[in-house]
Amino acid sequence: MLPAAGEPAAGDSWGMLACLCAVLWHLPAVPALNRTGDPGPGPSIQKTYDLTRYLEHQLRSLAGTYLNYLGPPFNEPDFNPPRLGAETLPRATVNLDVWRSLNDKLRLTQNYEAYSHLLCYLRGLDRQAATAELRRSLAHFCTSLQGLLGSIAGVMAALGYPLPQPLPGTEPTRAPGPAHSDFLQKMDDFWLLKELQTWLWRSAKDFNRLKKKTQPPPAAVTLHLEAHGF
Amino acid sequence: MALFSAFQTTFLLALLSLKTYQSEVLSEPLSLAPESLEVSIDSARQCLHLQWSVHNLAYHQELKMVFQIEISRIKTSNVIWVENYSTTVKRNQVLRWSWESKLPLECAKHSVRMRGAVDDAQVPELRFWSNWTSWEEVDVQSSLGHDPLFVFPKDKLVEEGSNVTICYVSRSHQNNISCYLEGVRMHGEQLDPNVCVFHLKNVPFVRETGTNIYCKADQGDLIKGIVLFVSKVFEEPKDFSCETRDLKTLNCTWAPGSDAGLLTQLSQSYTLFESFSGKKTLCKHKSWCNWQVSPDSQEMYNFTLTAENYLRKRSVHLLFNLTHRVHPMAPFNVFVKNVSATNATMTWKVHSIGNYSTLLCQIELYGEGKVIQKQNVSVKVNGKHLMKKLEPSTEYAAQVRCANANHFWKWSEWTRRNFTTAEAAPSEAPDVWRNMKSVQGHCVVTLFWKPLSKLQANGKILFYNVVLENLDRPSTLKLLSIPAPANGTELTLDQCSYQIHVTANNSVGTSPASVIAVSGDPGNKEVEEERVKGTEDGFCLSWKPQPGGVTGYVVEWCERPGDPLCDLQWKNLGPNTTSTVVSSDAFRPGVRYNFRIYGISTERIPYLLEKKTGYSQELVPSDNPQVLMSNLTSYSFTLSWKDYAAESQPGFVQGYSLYLKSKAARCLPGSEKAVLSDDSICCKYKIDNPKQKTFVVENLQPASFYEFFLTPYTSVGEGPQGAFTKVTTPDEYSHILIRIILPMIFSILLIMILCYLKSQWMKEKCYPDIPDPYKSSVLSLIKSKENPRLTIMNVKDCIPDAIEVINKQEGTRKSLTETEPTKPTYLYLLPTEKSHSGPGPCICFENFTYNQAASDSVSCGHVPVTPKAQPSQLGLLTSSENGPKALGKNYVNSLGEIPAGETNLNYVSQLASPMCGDKSSLPTNPPEPALCSEYKTQMAIPMGLASPPSITLLDEGEHDH
Repeated sequence: MLPAAGEPAAGDSWGMLACLCAVLWHLPAVPALNRTGDPGPGPSIQKTYDLTRYLEHQLRSLAGTYLNYLGPPFNEPDFNPPRLGAETLPRATVNLDVWRSLNDKLRLTQNYEAYSHLLCYLRGLDRQAATAELRRSLAHFCTSLQGLLGSIAGVMAALGYPLPQPLPGTEPTRAPGPAHSDFLQKMDDFWLLKELQTWLWRSAKDFNRLKKKTQPPPAAVTLHLEAHGF
Repeated sequence: MALFSAFQTTFLLALLSLKTYQSEVLSEPLSLAPESLEVSIDSARQCLHLQWSVHNLAYHQELKMVFQIEISRIKTSNVIWVENYSTTVKRNQVLRWSWESKLPLECAKHSVRMRGAVDDAQVPELRFWSNWTSWEEVDVQSSLGHDPLFVFPKDKLVEEGSNVTICYVSRSHQNNISCYLEGVRMHGEQLDPNVCVFHLKNVPFVRETGTNIYCKADQGDLIKGIVLFVSKVFEEPKDFSCETRDLKTLNCTWAPGSDAGLLTQLSQSYTLFESFSGKKTLCKHKSWCNWQVSPDSQEMYNFTLTAENYLRKRSVHLLFNLTHRVHPMAPFNVFVKNVSATNATMTWKVHSIGNYSTLLCQIELYGEGKVIQKQNVSVKVNGKHLMKKLEPSTEYAAQVRCANANHFWKWSEWTRRNFTTAEAAPSEAPDVWRNMKSVQGHCVVTLFWKPLSKLQANGKILFYNVVLENLDRPSTLKLLSIPAPANGTELTLDQCSYQIHVTANNSVGTSPASVIAVSGDPGNKEVEEERVKGTEDGFCLSWKPQPGGVTGYVVEWCERPGDPLCDLQWKNLGPNTTSTVVSSDAFRPGVRYNFRIYGISTERIPYLLEKKTGYSQELVPSDNPQVLMSNLTSYSFTLSWKDYAAESQPGFVQGYSLYLKSKAARCLPGSEKAVLSDDSICCKYKIDNPKQKTFVVENLQPASFYEFFLTPYTSVGEGPQGAFTKVTTPDEYSHILIRIILPMIFSILLIMILCYLKSQWMKEKCYPDIPDPYKSSVLSLIKSKENPRLTIMNVKDCIPDAIEVINKQEGTRKSLTETEPTKPTYLYLLPTEKSHSGPGPCICFENFTYNQAASDSVSCGHVPVTPKAQPSQLGLLTSSENGPKALGKNYVNSLGEIPAGETNLNYVSQLASPMCGDKSSLPTNPPEPALCSEYKTQMAIPMGLASPPSITLLDEGEHDH
């Protein structure tokens, strides 16, 4: 269950790649760059989709390390505790019909808000971690998640949707109250990672759906296939 | 029993009242029961805090009392703890006592009660227990809330190896609860139906995030857990030590133990306590603390360092005398003075460590990175040390440190100074050598000298003085001053009898002179060169001792033999030396070094004694000779390689190896079989004489193919393998053949040329032209006579009217004259019934104009006349006008349809016949043989197709001879 020795180095490079992606994704938001030759939201959505898949992969490694750090039963594969103290976490699971009926704006807004909150919680996790290596991995993942948030903001900007404004005083914090035991805190950490993973799965589906909607009709492909018929 | 109890109580109360009364009378407190008992809980520490007071004490009165405290669990009858607590009590003083429970307080209800008694010698009469207070109940469970499951203690912090008790409190009766420690199920004891207790013994440190303990219901997703933080054992500080540098401040240092290893680090505090002065200080740092030395000249110190964290307290002690713990400051005002070429004085000052104390100072002198002098000096305040036996013009470093001489504790830090000694005159004469050559009658002497070593130079050499003393005119001196760092000079002298003095000079003075003499004889007499074998250590050279007076020997060589600059080296040796080893890093393998050994006469004139040459390491030859082949015969050839420079090889060439390949299985005499690197087998001739540059390969086979390859060899091995040269020996008879064939070819050519030149004559003689009747001169004769009746008879114009059947005998030849008397038998071909019906086995067409004797086959042609063919033949022949035309066409066809192998029809061609042109005259005019002279067989026509029209085909333009 322990991560291999080579993984942190790979994580470093992935982290840097994620930073680069984040910077690239912010570029469409710059008005001076966005005025001329606007290719539409299609490429942005595709890249956001790719980023969610990449983050999903990155989280798998990080969660393994972190849950080992918490110890059993949190690192046991079939551990499925009730969602006791994690009620404030944005919930990714949603009824399928409801999910289908979401419009683009709502879909993107929900994603944006969820990751904004999750990122705050994740930074709290980063501060708690004891080992330097784990802190580094968490910091890399936070940077990547920040990139994803920027990417979603880019897509929303390209589609002309305003970014949701955070309500004052609702900034989520991870500071546990005095009655919050360490075991419950570990449960929260467990749920944070689990919810993050579910959100990344959902986002991949969200952006896949958006991608299909914004994709141009496949006339060129048809032509190409006809040409092959000869 | 109850009655007895009631009586006893009444009695005691009465007694107490009596005592109270007495005490009041005696001004002493009497009612001394604990009152106002309050119990509070500290869940985290699992502690019960009790506080109470004793009211019935007089003002300012203090009594020693003992309180008995009982603690029961679950029910009051289950007393689990009884303790007597003694203390001094004042009136209305709030007394406190705490008890730590092994079991988390939430796990069970606890009850507390107490009673008191005076335990004071002043009032021995009051030594009896007061009444028990009422049970004070502590029930944390009731305030837990309505959760179905709880696990206690919450997030407890214990030290590694502790025993911990855990419990769960379940509010649900339906579910079975299972509890796990780090995923492993635990088994506990049921305290009551809702509470189960687990005892963990000797808990280990698992991880920094704590040990996870959780309980869950067998059904549903009910789960509750705690984290047990197990810290590593708090270690006591190590290496606790105190010292002073200035007798004003003590600096105490220690190494803290390892940390707790937990995510939430336990805060540690360090306290320093000095027992003699009773002072205490809280240290700000984790590993050191400063203590101000008291001005009242306290000498002895007894320190206690206490390290404390949440769980444990550790202490270490240190007792010492202050003067024994003096670590002096580094010396200051350190100078190196009066530096001469060989001496220098070092001075310094030290910080005082008391009025009567002495410091021991250590001085070290470093030269070229190594300690060369070490000295200890006792010092009060000022230190001084003279350093002797120094080398001139040399860099030194001197350093000093001090320690308490009376009670050594620690050396101070070093204080270091660098200095350079003054220069002195060079101590040694430069090592001088010369090279002489004669140029245009002048003697050119090149002087070389080696730079003086640092020890010899005693400073920076500024210039070299060269004094030339003419031996012929002793009073004549010539001085040359050559600035350093030159290591030689060239002198052109008009004559060669000079004594040369060379000195090196620095800023202080001059070195002793080095003397060398040159004379007219350069000393390069012809000496046989000897070979020496070099080793890794160099060349071991030896020479014969000289009988005469010799002041020394010089061995001279070039380190770069191929280079024009040569890099001349020499080695001076004493007069009694007859051998030396010349070694140099510049010696390379495969390079030939030449050594010359000179003896130095008493007049300081060098003369050549011996020459040596050798390689430090011999190598195999680098290249092979270019071999020329000559004198190739059927049995031998000669090889020569006279241009090969054996001297330039990287080893002494000891001979040559000749490899000869041939088809012969056996090697020739003088050679032996050898296997080449490519596993091919050949014969090898060994030429042992390195000066031999030719070789005759003999005993070869004529007309055979050979291949040879020649390579030199040194003591290490042979040269590189190269390509074999191919040679084929000539045939033994080839020269004879050449002597015959060449003239023959020449003769044939001559004949052919002659034939060509005389071709016309040859033609006439060998194959003359056959005359053509149409081009015959007879034709012109006919035309000139203008006789239209006279013409050349054409066969087609002839209408045969008679066939003469000749009984010709085979093999007989008859001349025209002989045939003449023979009367021919005529068969008339005119269309008569007789001739048709008459039998005719052979038809012969007779032409009297020809001589029948020309050919054997001329005489008769047998034409089988078939009844079928006749009508057409006759039909054609009857028409004289259409005949030639139609027959011309048939001829073409008939030529292509001649089947082979048919019966031949021979006929006689007429070349020229002025007699046969007239049809009408043919039968009437008998043949006249006088004019036609020759016969010729024209062609052979197959019998089947040789019909009469074919016979008449030949007309103008279709003659084919």
